[in-house]
Amino acid sequence: MNLFGMLEVSGSGMTAERQRAQIVVNNMANAQTTHTAEGGPYKRQLTVFRAQGQADFPRQLMTLASFDPAFAAGRSGAAGVRVERVIPDNQPPVLRYEPGNPDADAKGYVAYPNVDPVEEMADLLGAVRAYELNASAVQAAKTMIQQSMSILQ
Amino acid sequence: MSNSMIDSPEISALGKFLDVSAYRTGLITSNMANIDTPGYRARDVNFAQELERSDGGLEEASYTPVAHEVQGLASRPDGNDVSLEREGLLLAETQLRFQVGVQVLRAEFHRILSAIHEGSASS
Amino acid sequence: MTNPISGLPASIVPGEAKTTAPREWGFVETLRGAIDQADQLQETADGKVSGVLAGNGMDVHSAMIAVEKADLSFQLMMQVRNKIVAAYQEISRMQF
Repeated sequence: MNLFGMLEVSGSGMTAERQRAQIVVNNMANAQTTHTAEGGPYKRQLTVFRAQGQADFPRQLMTLASFDPAFAAGRSGAAGVRVERVIPDNQPPVLRYEPGNPDADAKGYVAYPNVDPVEEMADLLGAVRAYELNASAVQAAKTMIQQSMSILQ
Repeated sequence: MSNSMIDSPEISALGKFLDVSAYRTGLITSNMANIDTPGYRARDVNFAQELERSDGGLEEASYTPVAHEVQGLASRPDGNDVSLEREGLLLAETQLRFQVGVQVLRAEFHRILSAIHEGSASS
Repeated sequence: MTNPISGLPASIVPGEAKTTAPREWGFVETLRGAIDQADQLQETADGKVSGVLAGNGMDVHSAMIAVEKADLSFQLMMQVRNKIVAAYQEISRMQF
């Protein structure tokens, strides 16, 4: 498979994980937001990943000279990834009894975002590990390209 | 005469070895990129089997190794079975194999070069 | 069959139309073969390198191998040429 196409695939992985990390950090930052512009408490957000560019390009297309990294990646069965959607978590908010809070309802309960800091932290660590994994793949591809060129020495 | 020396079966086999190694690296890279994709199944090639395939090789545009789903991996609740450790180890191993292949290929080319300049016309 | 005029076999009579082309000397054949191979391998290498640069999926190592093969065949061709030149010079130095 084309080594340059691989760089494209790893790049897509790093981008997706970074976007995921941003969403997670945003969740953590809004864990205590009981009042948003839409009225209710902040709603936890989730990222949905989807594989892209999987093989099925006919081989005749190999003769195309246009520079298209996504094509180069897809030709040989390589699959990149992207964040397909960011969706809200529709779990009900957490209710806490705080009658003195201006956001409290008639019964004195305040609706807090359904964000569990521990879970978000684990999610963030997962994104970081995956990011580093993709970074190691970039290094490997780069090394192999350099080794390929050393054939001429 | 000169054909078999430069277009030798050894060089052809080495080229094929590099082809398969590079392709495998591509699959590993895809697996790594999709470690968090719901439902994604890790893929690999049967290395030994690909090397034995007699069709194609270095000069054939139609030669593409066959990828298959890896058996025996544990799946997470979202259906993804990519293992961080497995892919990491396999990447290191494949990269080393590729490097060895390149070195052997270079040695072979140097050998041919010596033969040419030694003036020996026999092959 | 014999030539009716000189009685010699037709094949060695000068001026008789020959049915086969004269056999070429071994060195020239070899050189021609080496040139052809060098040409072909160079063309292949050029194509593969263009492929890498165009990003159409050509492997770098594949292109590098093609370049090296082309270079080796070129060197082989030069060696053959040098040998032929040396041989001719050697022969021309012979006194008869």
